[in-house]
Amino acid sequence: MAVPISQAWTVATYVLKQKLAGRKKYPLVLMLEPLFRCNLACAGCGKIQYPAHILKAELSPEDCFKAVEECGTPMVAIPGGEPLLHPKMPEIVAGLVARKKYVYMCTNALLLKEKLHLFKPSKYLSFSVHVDGQREHHDFSVCREGGYDIAMEGVAAAVAAGFRVTTNTTLFDGADPNSVRAHFDELMVAGVESMMVSPGYTYDKAPDQNHFLGRAKSRKMFRAILSNRKKSWRFNASPMFMEFLMGKKDLKCTPWGMPTFSIFGWQKPCYLLQDGYADSFKELMETVEWQNYGTESGNPRCANCMVHSGYEASGVNYTFGSIKGLLQTAKAMFSRYDDEGAQRILNDWKPAQHGPLVQIGTASAASAKGELQSVSGD
Amino acid sequence: MATDQQESAKIEQLAHHNPDELEHAAGREREVLEGWVPELATEAEVREALEKAFDYRGDVTITRKDGSKIEGYLFDRRSGTSLADSFVRIIPTTEKTKVNVAYGDIAALAFSGRDTAAGKTFEAWVKKYWEKKSAGEKNIQIEPEKLD
Repeated sequence: MAVPISQAWTVATYVLKQKLAGRKKYPLVLMLEPLFRCNLACAGCGKIQYPAHILKAELSPEDCFKAVEECGTPMVAIPGGEPLLHPKMPEIVAGLVARKKYVYMCTNALLLKEKLHLFKPSKYLSFSVHVDGQREHHDFSVCREGGYDIAMEGVAAAVAAGFRVTTNTTLFDGADPNSVRAHFDELMVAGVESMMVSPGYTYDKAPDQNHFLGRAKSRKMFRAILSNRKKSWRFNASPMFMEFLMGKKDLKCTPWGMPTFSIFGWQKPCYLLQDGYADSFKELMETVEWQNYGTESGNPRCANCMVHSGYEASGVNYTFGSIKGLLQTAKAMFSRYDDEGAQRILNDWKPAQHGPLVQIGTASAASAKGELQSVSGD
Repeated sequence: MATDQQESAKIEQLAHHNPDELEHAAGREREVLEGWVPELATEAEVREALEKAFDYRGDVTITRKDGSKIEGYLFDRRSGTSLADSFVRIIPTTEKTKVNVAYGDIAALAFSGRDTAAGKTFEAWVKKYWEKKSAGEKNIQIEPEKLD
């Protein structure tokens, strides 16, 4: 199992309770953003561009607990910003664990090793470490030399201390599926519990506006990456969402599936789009015109989105929506997705289609050309 | 909500392609808004300017019709049927409160703060990277914003 049985059971019973209660719209994971400031400035990230007085602001533990109670989801992800920069993060996490919420504390892990002693291992707590690929890919994704090594030191320390550690890999145009597969191997060897992978979103505020994957290329890339799976790989994602990424299943966006709460309030409509803020979770659910979002809405800002925050809940809903969904999910959990076509894509993939990645430590090739090279995003 | 002008590249792309057939997705053309003081002569101009202010990632300065000013981050707007029942929500630069200002009370708007999302940061960094590398520097990185 990619998650503890207790967690899978909690989520399953939560979803079934919502369905039995006749609720059409219910969230799966609360995205709790206690702060926006970060110790990285990644090229593909559009989350951290704010004036200094906003970057200095943060939610109190009480603000966080109130949001969690309002929303009622069994799982809470804590993205940001970098959560470990929040001075009261240990208190926030402890409070959520005490409420028996399954917490994924998303971190770039630059501070994980030194702050690890402030947290206690628990089945309710997982450090979700953002690692965007093998060393070179990650370092350039996060625009920091040495970032990969520090993150993996944090992973090793957390694993050794008995914490649950998962990873989160975001792929942009320019990613090399062969390298991503090797990256998965490395993460499994490092002892992480399970991995999450998702295409990047077209953040309007991201520094790099040139490497956003279209849906056709996303499907091709994820088919290449996720077919012919190795037995050692464990994923922390809905099997139906992963089939959606591979182009094997159509899902419609569930924009209310992972609502976001930050210093501004409840973000309308979703984690990725900003269309204003509601002051309560109830107001969010009742005032957003949800039909205006999702690829099928024709909204250009949703046109190429395949991100987990919109579609992971769709995958879970599909699983629990019918006997067929349950059976397909059960089958998917044991499938390696043997696919000769996908193997050919892997074999033929040309990672240098936008020019070679900037090579850390091998400046001569690029500088000799005297031109800028394309790189992958966050 | 971004304006059509801001989303023109995506709208143009989608006019010719099915989203499911896209290999690459268009980004956004940057509008230079920093320092802009829009005309607010008509209701349409007021709504357009405040929509852009909502999208702007720097502080703005609003001058009310009573002469008072408020400078801060405009994080939300609520568009009603008239300027009187439409309002923006601002976190002032010096306070941790959320202040509402009705569209109808606004005499002037200035995009006064630095646009924190502007600039070709990534391309600039790649260029700077090679300069630093050539100079023998180690552990090169894009530094996040300094907050003090």
